[in-house]
Amino acid sequence: MTIETVTVAPAPAGPPDATPAPAGPLDATPATAEDAAAAALAGLADRWLEHGLCTTPADRPAAEAAVREAYVAAGLPAPRHVVWLPSPFAGALAAALLTAAPAGAAGSGPDAAAPAGAARPGPDAADPAADAPDGTDSGAAPATRTATAIAEVLAALRAQGCVPGEVAPGKAIRGTLRTAPWAAARMAATERLGPAGWAAHWAAGGQRTWNLLVDRVVTPLRTRLAEDLVADVRDPLTERARSALFDAVYGLHEAAWLSAFDGDPRLRGLAGVATSAGWWWPYEQVAVLTERPVVAERDNVGRLHRGDGPALAYPDGYGLHVWRGMAIPAEVARELPKLTVQRIRAEQNAEVRRVMLEHFGYDRYLRDSNARALHRDECGVLWRIELSDDEPLVMVEVVNSTAEPDGTYRTYWLRVPPDTRTARGGVAWTFGLTEEQYAPLAQT
Amino acid sequence: MYRQGDVLVHPIEPADVPPGLVPAGRDARGRLVLARGEATGHAHVVSGSGVTLWALPDQSDPSFLLVKGYGRLSHEEHGPIALPAGSYRVIRQREYVPGAWRPVAD
Repeated sequence: MTIETVTVAPAPAGPPDATPAPAGPLDATPATAEDAAAAALAGLADRWLEHGLCTTPADRPAAEAAVREAYVAAGLPAPRHVVWLPSPFAGALAAALLTAAPAGAAGSGPDAAAPAGAARPGPDAADPAADAPDGTDSGAAPATRTATAIAEVLAALRAQGCVPGEVAPGKAIRGTLRTAPWAAARMAATERLGPAGWAAHWAAGGQRTWNLLVDRVVTPLRTRLAEDLVADVRDPLTERARSALFDAVYGLHEAAWLSAFDGDPRLRGLAGVATSAGWWWPYEQVAVLTERPVVAERDNVGRLHRGDGPALAYPDGYGLHVWRGMAIPAEVARELPKLTVQRIRAEQNAEVRRVMLEHFGYDRYLRDSNARALHRDECGVLWRIELSDDEPLVMVEVVNSTAEPDGTYRTYWLRVPPDTRTARGGVAWTFGLTEEQYAPLAQT
Repeated sequence: MYRQGDVLVHPIEPADVPPGLVPAGRDARGRLVLARGEATGHAHVVSGSGVTLWALPDQSDPSFLLVKGYGRLSHEEHGPIALPAGSYRVIRQREYVPGAWRPVAD
């Protein structure tokens, strides 16, 4: 990783003199030092975002060296055991198994907490090349799924010489390893740049990665993990796994804020893991490391989004089916490619029906159902479809103002509130304006 | 007001530009970006003379555009638009979902 420190000099707080400038020639915005620095920070942010969305297998030696460095930087001895698991789901279970039993209490250990049948190691599903199936695909009874996952994690821990009940992991040290150095780095940057300078620095080099990784990836993933870990079996072990999510360091997803501290020596260990591995769980004596995703697909505003498989998936098959940021059950996801109007009409769950409608395409659905054109004007056509047990679907059909390369004009549909009366009013709403306010001078 | 695809540039009174904004939108190539496509890599870019972009604290997308000289909006898939001097709000298109709304992602 290149070590370069780029800072933005303190910028004026707020726009410079928002009064209209006197008419006349103005500076042709030369690239000031601040602009150049902001561009350099944006370049770093782009690089860090790539790390945060990386889907190649972990660089295990690099990650392990970086973990040791993070411990040493925090004044701690390196962990005695470093173990690898294929996903954050497996990692959370491993953390729960290891912290479940006091060392030396083998026998009263986690095996007792595992559901019956957990001792059968499951198949090794680690095939990054495969389109990872969702864990819910097996068709097996739900309890068996969690049991299988626990058995696989136990087998992996034993194979790596880190047997729950025999190894004392010690305390969780996320705060010492991650939160404290981060706070120190931020304080140092604020002292160096001043409050306004720090705000400008963060805006240029951290805000975007933070929004795209934390809001759009980490939060949905953590929410889904918390649900999935206790979905089939709710017992002390799975509850502990869910609590262990609070002890995780997010590995590659720490790129969200590391982008603003590129090259800070205090953060070298954390940064090294972020550029080489997935989520990890640091304990005093044990570090539980996990793989990066094998799939991470997003839509144009950065939300997790995929219509023909999991938008986020891991080598063991753990994954999230997501449509435009909305989590959907795997069985619904499997149906999307072969939908019919009848099937969509028959869907009882309104949210699922909306996803189906979007995937199927409003235009196709309109053609195949008794849609009424409510209104037409120069802005487009307003359509309405009654839906059972849901508010009516009201959409504006608009035509792109710029032609496609082949000379045709692309048409697209936007859903608007059901009380919309005119096409212009619908388009105005999409920009947060009233029909009277909306009057573009130029449109392309 | 000026519309380029899913972005609307809406003139406002200079007095309506809120205080406490931070400079925003500069990309790695030094361009000022109003909105970018995460999947396509395309971007609504503003260039010109005396042009600055500003964001509300804690938001990554710019919300205000100040043009002291002249401005020009460009995008890979849309025609360019000339912007006269003035203060503008940058509005990203949204669509309705029952009980809420979300940004348009095309």
